[in-house]
Amino acid sequence: MKLPTPPSDEQFTSRLRSAAVAARIGLWLGICFGLAFVTGVISHYAQNHSQPIPFPTSPSWGYRVTQGVHVVSGTAAVPLLLVKLWTVYPRLFARPPRGLRRLAVEGLERGSIGVLVAAAIFQLASGLLNSAQWYPWSFSFRSTHYAIGWVAIGALVVHIAVKLPVIRRALGADVDDTSQDRPNATRPGVLSRRGLLRTTWVASGVAVLATAGSTVPLLRNVSVFGVRSGDGPGGIPINKSARAAAVTASAVSPDYRFTVAYGDREVTLTRDELAAMPQATRSLPIACVEGWSAGGSWSGVVLRDLLDLVDAPRGRDVLVVSLQESGPYRETVLQGNFADDDRTLLALRLEGEELAIDHGYPCRLIAPNRPGVLQTKWVKRLEVQA
Amino acid sequence: MRATRAAVGALGVLAGAYGAWLLLSRQDLAQLTNAALWLASGVVLHDFVLAPVVLVVVAVVARVAPRHVQAPAVVALVVLGAVTLLAIPVLGRFGARPDNPTLLDRSYGTGWLVLAGITLAAVVAGALVVRSRHRPAVPPTERSPRGPRPGGG
Repeated sequence: MKLPTPPSDEQFTSRLRSAAVAARIGLWLGICFGLAFVTGVISHYAQNHSQPIPFPTSPSWGYRVTQGVHVVSGTAAVPLLLVKLWTVYPRLFARPPRGLRRLAVEGLERGSIGVLVAAAIFQLASGLLNSAQWYPWSFSFRSTHYAIGWVAIGALVVHIAVKLPVIRRALGADVDDTSQDRPNATRPGVLSRRGLLRTTWVASGVAVLATAGSTVPLLRNVSVFGVRSGDGPGGIPINKSARAAAVTASAVSPDYRFTVAYGDREVTLTRDELAAMPQATRSLPIACVEGWSAGGSWSGVVLRDLLDLVDAPRGRDVLVVSLQESGPYRETVLQGNFADDDRTLLALRLEGEELAIDHGYPCRLIAPNRPGVLQTKWVKRLEVQA
Repeated sequence: MRATRAAVGALGVLAGAYGAWLLLSRQDLAQLTNAALWLASGVVLHDFVLAPVVLVVVAVVARVAPRHVQAPAVVALVVLGAVTLLAIPVLGRFGARPDNPTLLDRSYGTGWLVLAGITLAAVVAGALVVRSRHRPAVPPTERSPRGPRPGGG
């Protein structure tokens, strides 16, 4: 058979490729991108060292929910974007208009669509790959995904502003309305327009069900494409192993000492001494930036009790230093409101058992409403900032 | 209305410009080149590989499949195609690491087969229901108000 090589949009005659369909899918696509943008900005802010407005410590499951929504809305957007692009594909081949002024206006509009499509595909693809911990690129994921997130939402807002009259007419009329269709887009499709829309919603729903189990425990057995089954020591998966962090020796060494410092005051403790301090148990989730999360029952020393050993004043940021010798999260900043929160622990145990080395033995930070990458493992030093 | 649209559009331009500045100011040239390559590849892969492939597949279905099988086939293609595409990173287990057994710890191939089986079964069941409903009536018309139903899920 002959391959179609479309030189013009007039060769696309299906009546499914209509503004009536595009606007309806676009509405949900816009909602998904809006959710992903807002939750993405929240996640980015939560990871900032400097937080002019302190990131709240409550609810403890807040970040678990926002980051879960981030990944779920991005996943749901994949089928929506594919079908949306299918409905408007003929426009790629539309002939440019005559006249310099109209040409310039159309050029600008198509340029903005180009930016939108490139940014949208990039966000979904890079986000999906990141959630599966696949990094076949050399750019910084966090910087780039964040920056392109702004580009995508900006281009989306421009697109909505440009198309607003078309969108309003399309959503105000029946889905089978043809008043905004290209004149020759009249051939009935294999599906009806409603059929195509329902199929798209089903595809989106299946995409979510097949992946969301990594963060929604109820879906664990349904999510055949979940990046994590949820298994792991103490019922919690691992992001970075002790071997990957190169701490397999230092973490179990008898020479291990934990230090808390404030100014020229320093207190050094062995792990046994940490375990001999008053212990507290807290139910707190680990919620990873990659979108998976799991709740656990952690036991250890309330972090504030450790800061009191060196008479650190309240409200001070604390530098948390890990045994690992390299990596961007070797040192993290624990903001003052988190350091003072009664739920923040230097955890020694998980689910009543000694912390597994991959979970941060000899001790790790666990705080409420905090991105997983900042729940520092293999902690060796707390430095209260001046 | 016009003023509102212009204001909203300006807001969008502002947000986009902020993103562009963020992108350009935080990484070195090699990283930026790589990011640009990825940005362009997504559009090129969609517009000139995926979209034409879909055109060809739909054309083949339209030509080869019997009329009453076409709608269910397209439904199955959309659902399975989209979900398979987004499952590529886990199906290939590209991010798997020997030191971390809790990562990518499902048998994704089996999962795909199960999903494909359920999708096909649902689509076939939906098609049978639609057929049995239409049989006593006059042959289904193209522009029936509700149109052929996709069935499935």
